[in-house]
Amino acid sequence: MDNSDTTIVETHGLTKRYGSRVLAVDSIDMSVRRGEVYGFLGPNGAGKTTTLRMLVGLIRPNAGTATVAGQAPGSPAGLARIGSLIESPGYYPYLSGRENLRVIADLAGVDSKRVEEVLDMVELASRAGRKFGTYSTGMKQRLGVAGALLKDPELLILDEPTNGLDPQGMAEMRKLIKDIGQGDRTVLLSSHLLGEVEQICDRVGVISNGKLVTQSTVQELLGEEGVLVRAQPIEQAQDVLTRMFGADAISRKDGAIHLKTKPENSVEINRQLVGAGIGVSELRPFERSLEEVFFQLTGEKQGS
Amino acid sequence: MIATIKFEWRKLRFRPAFFVSAGLIAALVALVYFVSWYQALHPGTSERGLVNILTLYPAQFVNQVIGAGAIGGAIAIVLGAIYAGSEFSWGTLKTMFTQRPGRLTVWAGRVLVFSLWMAIMAGVLLVAGAAMSVVVALFQGAAISWPAAVDIAKGFGALWLIFVAEGAIGLGLGVVIRQSAAALGAGLIYLLAVEIIAVRFIDSINNGAYQWIGNLFVGQNAGALTQSFTSPAFGRSVAPAISAEHAVLVLAAYGVGLVIVAAGLLRLRDVT
Repeated sequence: MDNSDTTIVETHGLTKRYGSRVLAVDSIDMSVRRGEVYGFLGPNGAGKTTTLRMLVGLIRPNAGTATVAGQAPGSPAGLARIGSLIESPGYYPYLSGRENLRVIADLAGVDSKRVEEVLDMVELASRAGRKFGTYSTGMKQRLGVAGALLKDPELLILDEPTNGLDPQGMAEMRKLIKDIGQGDRTVLLSSHLLGEVEQICDRVGVISNGKLVTQSTVQELLGEEGVLVRAQPIEQAQDVLTRMFGADAISRKDGAIHLKTKPENSVEINRQLVGAGIGVSELRPFERSLEEVFFQLTGEKQGS
Repeated sequence: MIATIKFEWRKLRFRPAFFVSAGLIAALVALVYFVSWYQALHPGTSERGLVNILTLYPAQFVNQVIGAGAIGGAIAIVLGAIYAGSEFSWGTLKTMFTQRPGRLTVWAGRVLVFSLWMAIMAGVLLVAGAAMSVVVALFQGAAISWPAAVDIAKGFGALWLIFVAEGAIGLGLGVVIRQSAAALGAGLIYLLAVEIIAVRFIDSINNGAYQWIGNLFVGQNAGALTQSFTSPAFGRSVAPAISAEHAVLVLAAYGVGLVIVAAGLLRLRDVT
């Protein structure tokens, strides 16, 4: 089936091996839909940057195929429709921020008027006359995003854009990415920061040890909504709840009952349990955090 | 290609190395003229310091300044190494390769602009030499007469070729080593030590039977080309072992060959 109308990035069995021992990316099948903000999530060294570098043609895969904006990675026609910021922004330290964007605009065949537009978008216009070498990390990242936006791309690839930023800078960058991702533009964002991905992204792909372990919407990944119940005696409470929702909706964990049901049912749950003479000590909506899901999927230890 | 050339030129003209190299080469020419002028007016007993004042007048300025080609060649290696190597150090190569043009187009634009830079360097060298020769002639009360335009053009061409060929060593090393400091160090060590030792060794084998190999080294040919610019005023009696035509061909082959090898590496290697 031709997915080119709905899919902007598609990879099949994409693999990158360094030497005979290091398998950086292991047969990744990934698809990014047009118009979405896609989070590419994984711990440091999982293979995120290597995958993104393959998508923009900076490195060649050993096996597999990729189509980006309808073209092979690195082809001039494809690159014309992609903006990217891979790892740290690469600009000339002796040129000002504005002059850096102008020279890149020359190379990309973009009208130099666009330079002022993107500087305004990243709120860097007032400091664009300063040399890039004197910029703070946050300003460099902003200029990197501005450079990626120069071509007004259909697809924006951002590799850990909040790296090295202070909390305020991270919040500003997240807001900027959210704004950029509105409308028809697709954003492919890699990150190891779970909160960042949860806040910004429509869908996520989780990579671990070079393998894409899952790919779905954030909501699907977090699982169904539920209600957590702590009550005494717990066996009697479980009987009551089984009668209400069926055995499949109930599980026990850490001395609590996890119920697959909508939080709006909490009032009825409380009424039934109290009516049966059961003491309820805790009753609250329950949702798995992305962090829990991530650690479960990647096999990493929480808090390690 | 036009976009790539525009991009390269626009960033080169703001680069400190662009002005520093031009100023340095002009200052070197001025220094050579002042020292030679002093030596011509104060001849010692040693033959080594003898300078004919006629060699410092405008009529001989091309033959005089072309001697600075060797120093200019060393500077060209440094410039080539930093021009190619710094793109890796700054991470700007990935920025360049993720815009519209293909890798070979980007490289071709870079090489063309570097060649233009070397032409500017050759031009600065000649203009500085011409200016200094006028200063000397005016102070000495000598008549000002210039070399034929064709001789000036030949001198310019020779300097440009030497700079491009030796600059290509720097460019190639910058691409191979992927940083500028080690590349310029390796280039200078090659030119100032390795090649000299290698040529001496090759010349000494089997009574010079393999001298033809020594005659294929870049520094030997650059030296031979500069020595082909002379006149009786310089008093050189020994003809160079390598002809000017041979030198031009070898230098051109170095320039083209190294640029092609670097292009192949850039095309095939991953940008990490």
